[in-house]
Amino acid sequence: MQTKEFTIKWGMAIDLDKCTGCGACMVACQAENNLAPIADASNKIKVMNWITVYELSNGKPYPEHDVAYLPRPCQQCGHPPCVSVCPVIATDKNEEGGIVSQVTPRCIGCRYCMAACPYHARYFNWRDPVWPGGLEKALTPDVSVRPRGVVEKCTFCHHRWMAAKDKAIVEGRDPMDLAEGEYVTSCTEACPNGAITFGDLNNEEHEVAKLASSKHAHRLLERLGAHTQVYYVSRREWVLRQLDNYLEDEKVKG
Amino acid sequence: MAVDRRGFLKFVAGATTGVLATPVPWKLLDDASIWTQNWSWIPRNVDGANSYVSTISKLCPSAAGMKVRLVGERPVRVLPDDNHPLSMGGITALAVAEVQLMYSPSRVKRPLKHAGDGAYVAISWEEAEKMLKENLRRAGSKVAYVSGDETGTINELLSGMAKESGSEDFYVMPSEVQPAALAFASMNGKGQLGYDIENSDYVFAIGANILESWGTVLRNRAAFKKSHPAAKKPTVKFVYAGPVQNNTAAGADEWLPAKSGAEAIVAMGIANLLIKSGATINAPDFAEFKALAAQYTPQKVAALAGVAPAKLKAIAAELSKAQRPVVLTGSEFGQGTGVATVLAGTAVNMLLGSFGREGGVKALPLAPKVIASGMDRSESAQKDLVAYLSRISAGKVSKPRAMVFYEANPVYGLPQPAAMAKVMDKVPFKVAFTSFLDETAKACDLILPTPLGLERFDDVETPYGIGQAFYSLARPVAPCVIDGKPAADVLLSVATQLNMDLGFATFEEILQAKAEAAGADWDSLMEGEFFTSDAVAEQSNLRIAADVIGKALAAAPKAAKLSIAPVQKLSLGTPNTAIPPYNNKTIRRWELQKNEMYVAMNGATARELGVVKHDRIKLSNSSGSIQARVNIFEGVMPNTIAVLMGFGHTAFDEFSKGKGENVMELLTVGYEAGTGQSVWNVAGVNVSKA
Repeated sequence: MQTKEFTIKWGMAIDLDKCTGCGACMVACQAENNLAPIADASNKIKVMNWITVYELSNGKPYPEHDVAYLPRPCQQCGHPPCVSVCPVIATDKNEEGGIVSQVTPRCIGCRYCMAACPYHARYFNWRDPVWPGGLEKALTPDVSVRPRGVVEKCTFCHHRWMAAKDKAIVEGRDPMDLAEGEYVTSCTEACPNGAITFGDLNNEEHEVAKLASSKHAHRLLERLGAHTQVYYVSRREWVLRQLDNYLEDEKVKG
Repeated sequence: MAVDRRGFLKFVAGATTGVLATPVPWKLLDDASIWTQNWSWIPRNVDGANSYVSTISKLCPSAAGMKVRLVGERPVRVLPDDNHPLSMGGITALAVAEVQLMYSPSRVKRPLKHAGDGAYVAISWEEAEKMLKENLRRAGSKVAYVSGDETGTINELLSGMAKESGSEDFYVMPSEVQPAALAFASMNGKGQLGYDIENSDYVFAIGANILESWGTVLRNRAAFKKSHPAAKKPTVKFVYAGPVQNNTAAGADEWLPAKSGAEAIVAMGIANLLIKSGATINAPDFAEFKALAAQYTPQKVAALAGVAPAKLKAIAAELSKAQRPVVLTGSEFGQGTGVATVLAGTAVNMLLGSFGREGGVKALPLAPKVIASGMDRSESAQKDLVAYLSRISAGKVSKPRAMVFYEANPVYGLPQPAAMAKVMDKVPFKVAFTSFLDETAKACDLILPTPLGLERFDDVETPYGIGQAFYSLARPVAPCVIDGKPAADVLLSVATQLNMDLGFATFEEILQAKAEAAGADWDSLMEGEFFTSDAVAEQSNLRIAADVIGKALAAAPKAAKLSIAPVQKLSLGTPNTAIPPYNNKTIRRWELQKNEMYVAMNGATARELGVVKHDRIKLSNSSGSIQARVNIFEGVMPNTIAVLMGFGHTAFDEFSKGKGENVMELLTVGYEAGTGQSVWNVAGVNVSKA
């Protein structure tokens, strides 16, 4: 199967040496995309986060220990394993920009896509979304509220791209030629450390394109060949080794 | 015509193929999936015109500058403000949830009176003000005020009311502010210590959790962001010394393990090495300081603070070579540190030539007070709430007849909270001005709901940590969603009825006067602009206060065999906010499971204690005890147990209440020799299997 190519390919580069795991991206994502809060968030299998920050360890004992944090949104695969298994075409990768879509109303909740996703980036909505105390008044108008029984995932805040394109059209500019920063995801915008860089991977002038071609950039489980549009950057070899489960005697590429 | 078995199977197969070849079943499935999701109780999106209002957070201790997105008149999102000096394009995990906190289930929605049977009774504002006025009148000079706001001019109003009634008892909840102010005052300093991290080329944070809880965290992070370009070598080295590989250590270029509470010792070790390499300070007590610092050899620092001598020497050498180094000292959990810690850190900055230099430490001017009878920040920093409550407990001072709590939650947030709460229990009348039904509010006779920072006018003056003088207004971006009244308005009204002369009739007048005193333009502030100034406070006769450091270190308690290291994360809120509804998803798997919290220790410590991951243990000392499960994390010093703060609330809502236990139960209050300041950043603990 060929990787789908687009004129614009929205992508992300996350510098794992800059992320300190503060969680601002996770909270911003929930507020932006109308994810419901939950009283007991300790069951990480059944709790929804479109972006999750994992803690990595170099596995060495004190005082040689090192820690890193890995924010994990949907990786927006070039040929996504989730798409081919969906019986109702609720998920697809066809639109310009290369964002893997998720049409919630079409989803029948079979969860094949979750089984296929090697990144655990898809979440089944196990519970009725509930906003106690009037919290629903702070819902944004941009993203529909999803019911129980469907699969959700990060969309790179797709609605923000639509808004940026609309703005460009109104201003008489080419919506397919947005300047860097005109469209960014909510997590990118919130990160106080600047660990997340977002832009067009096909545009050499965009910082993300430069970072993606850096020798310090790797992709998560790259050897699976999903050709993801999220790149992880680190100058620490032990971090890069963990991104693709390198064996001890294997040399990290790059 | 007879249908045989083969014919029947052919027909079924053909029919199946035919049906599947048509769009009918697919369309039906699609429709079914859509209609089965069409549930009436799921909220619908409400659209409207977008607008953005710039303001500043009164909820986040880092005073985050932010833009609030409104849809119609509804605030829906807090977004970073690229142009704000305290935000610079980022947001904290706490401030980003601020809009949602307006609708928190634990908000107090109307004035409440605590009935005799323990229930709350809703009362009118008239009745509430009358009750407040009568009780304050009855209390006379036996009244104490406690504020949870570090930067607002409301503190002048509260302290002014205390003084007008004849009381000196105004206190701000303990933080990094008090020890820093006392330290600078003992150096004969004028103004407030400020740290120019943005222009520094080497940042050494001793204890100070600068990327999470120390000072203006967002501004600190912006400096980190700028100096750490993605995929490139950092242009500024960040070093963090502390007992746990916390968020600051995770971002720092180097983590220097150092015991909790040993910050002053580390700083003195560095000072000793700098002096040996020829550094000097033009201060009257330098000789005394030099003799004191000489005692803190790398070997002694290793013994007292657990710092490897070679690493200490390497950092001292790097600091010497740097052009604009800055050293920041504080507590890794934002409170409980001593005056000597700040003094030792300031001395190191002086040895490095960083005092008064760009990229170093500055003395920032503070706006003069506008309420004549109120206390200014240096006066209020002298007031030690923990010591006050301890003195009441010991019978050394009489208890007040009334206590007024303004957005402060001492029943949860002070060290040894149970003992502190017991003291407060003895006070006949207590009133809480609060946005949330917190632990302190639940212990009060009268609960008065205050609008949040997004619903009221308020101000922020030069938060501790920032490198330049600052003034900004918090503006109401939306109508108050509860039946709340700004505390300042209520207090001014009561003050007038009690014949107090505070010099102002409204809080807006006070804010206007403060803005003018700070040198800011009121109209610009009202439009969301902010005031900054590079002016510095002139100093004379500045000393190191070596005698104060010497006394404090000589009498410092020896570290226990096993000690606890509290870890603070902004995502888990503050004692005033608890865990915001959206934020408990940021709690990691081995930090909390259901309602059981985990504490972290390294493998060697666990082996010594005979415990393994997931074991249930009891941590106890003379102050109290907590139960938790064990997590093994090698980023903790030996004989140290890292405990996350923010758990163990007995109030608030389902997102916070009953989750884990409060580490403050284990923090034992001591008093710093020489200054008498209460400290609680060293706590020994015993561990047993639960």
